[in-house]
Amino acid sequence: MGAGLTGYTIRRILWAVPVLFVISFVVFWILRLAPGDPVDALLGQRFDEERAANLRHKYGYDKPVVEQYVIYMRNLAQGDMGVSTRHVDFSVSEVIWPKIKVSSQLGAMALIIVFSLGIPIGIYAALARGTFLDPLTIGCWLLLDAIPAFVLAPVVGWLVALKLGWITLGWEGVWTDGPIFRPESNVIVYVLIMSLPGVAGVARFMRASFISVMDEDYVRTARAKGLKQSTIIITHITRNAMMPMITVIGLSLPAITAGALFVERAFGIPGIGAESLAAVTAPDFDVILGLVLFGSFLFVVANIVIDISYGFIDPRVKVGGQRG
Amino acid sequence: MTAEVVRTLEETGTPARWRSPGARALRSLLRKKIACLAIVYLTIFYGAGLFAPLVVPALGLPSPYEQNRRTIEEVRAGPSREHPFGTDTLGRDMAARVIYSARTTVLFTIVVLITGGLFIGLGLGLLAGYRGGWVDTLIMRIGEVFSGLPTLFIMLALSAAFRTRIDDLIFWFKDNTFLGDDSRAIVQFLLIAMVTVPFAWIGSSRVVRAQTLSIRESGYVEAAELMGAGTWRVITRHVFPGVMPLFLVGLSGGMGGIAGSEVALSFLGLGISAPTASFGTMIGDGAGITAFRLYPHLLIAGALPVILFIFAWNLLGDALVDILQPKQHVS
Repeated sequence: MGAGLTGYTIRRILWAVPVLFVISFVVFWILRLAPGDPVDALLGQRFDEERAANLRHKYGYDKPVVEQYVIYMRNLAQGDMGVSTRHVDFSVSEVIWPKIKVSSQLGAMALIIVFSLGIPIGIYAALARGTFLDPLTIGCWLLLDAIPAFVLAPVVGWLVALKLGWITLGWEGVWTDGPIFRPESNVIVYVLIMSLPGVAGVARFMRASFISVMDEDYVRTARAKGLKQSTIIITHITRNAMMPMITVIGLSLPAITAGALFVERAFGIPGIGAESLAAVTAPDFDVILGLVLFGSFLFVVANIVIDISYGFIDPRVKVGGQRG
Repeated sequence: MTAEVVRTLEETGTPARWRSPGARALRSLLRKKIACLAIVYLTIFYGAGLFAPLVVPALGLPSPYEQNRRTIEEVRAGPSREHPFGTDTLGRDMAARVIYSARTTVLFTIVVLITGGLFIGLGLGLLAGYRGGWVDTLIMRIGEVFSGLPTLFIMLALSAAFRTRIDDLIFWFKDNTFLGDDSRAIVQFLLIAMVTVPFAWIGSSRVVRAQTLSIRESGYVEAAELMGAGTWRVITRHVFPGVMPLFLVGLSGGMGGIAGSEVALSFLGLGISAPTASFGTMIGDGAGITAFRLYPHLLIAGALPVILFIFAWNLLGDALVDILQPKQHVS
């Protein structure tokens, strides 16, 4: 495995570089293609040709697109992600990092909830296969999955804040200042709204995976040996059924930082989702690019890590073999 | 006496009538009650949506595009006998708007299904799986690039970028074609379809490719090739029928997401805009904590039909998985 895995890793990383370049160039080019540019948004009513020309020169928008792209990439290589025009002259890093921090904390909590609910629910549904409990369980979670966040958010907000008075509406930071280190109660509500719709997908996947393992010969052998049902479920089936789940977990990792646009919008959370919507509609070129590149980078890295981790976890998997 | 014996023999002893695999799948689908309910709801939704201009007057509802006879009392009124779902912020009947919004959703899912799912997803999947080599690599790498992009974010960026430009296009269409006043809705519609399609084909083409790869190695395909069948014939007659079940499963599972993306874009004001009815703009009118406290019907009437629509597609996809691939192979 040794040399093959190293070679495969290197090949995958080398593939990732052109992929990221293509993504960045396409986004860069599309942004420049659109007629409205940040200068129009900045000047608004006070627009006059001379000031616009000055501003365009200041931000470098008067140069040809390819030249702008080369300059951007050169700066990026030195860790400079450009300047925001919407937050006048703040650097992109100053704008996005605090928001990434907020979004990623909420996203991580949401992800933990999704998987710690989804996996047991999937196992339960698989064990209940053939009875009405299986479709009922999955169906209930699928209904939650069908409710868009922008519908769920005001309803839940009305219920827990106005009707029941459990939380206050407004952003008070992620963690409480109190003696016990725990998330703010309104953060818990936001995280639940973000995570509950995702449970169905994980549960369905876990159910399918569990069922396919359940019919394996070694499970029948274990049963014939007279092992306890709980031992079979935990050590024989669940452990093997978790294998394909690695992909799902890995692929949802970038979603942590993507931020939950609609929940952030509904509750005024200073996160990436709300910022990206504002940046896109403003428009704010460098912030959009920074966010897209950050998101794509995470996605590509997560993909590579998943593929390679298969080789470590399951020695039967030959990475880089006949996979096309 | 003998006739009776023959009849009982015919009823009990004869083997079950042979049915095509498609008919058998349909029968076992209908045996599932949940799937039946989903199909009934989807049929009603698609029927109401496609024939909205006929359905709305037939139900005795006023057209949502007539705003001439509004009074202040009619604005944001709750459900009543005259307006079963209440009225919206402009006093228009919500039930009629829901039906016209269904029309938008229905047309959108059909357009994206045909372009993204059927042509691009199935076509590229078959091509990549059957031809292999550099064609396969190229298609799958392009798919990787697209799936690497944060989907909703890119859709936002694209629709925001083209949004300002399409005004010229709308006026051109209005002046130069027969579309007239409909051109605005149609151009906006095409725009969101254009930004959805690049992300709608990847999933189904991956499924199709994987299935094609395994079918390509099977004996009957080799036999057909040896007998001199061309690529087109092998793909359409031998590979395609084997790919179809999995493709349908993937498709029905993805339909809810496609409908959801139109609603989300319209909600953000980047998709279909007023006066054309869309669930997104309807939900946008009622989605706010205060708005929901004061006028809950604004949100409920707009959201419930589309939630059930997405739910029905998800349930149907789930039922199809069980029927068409009893022993599911998780990749």
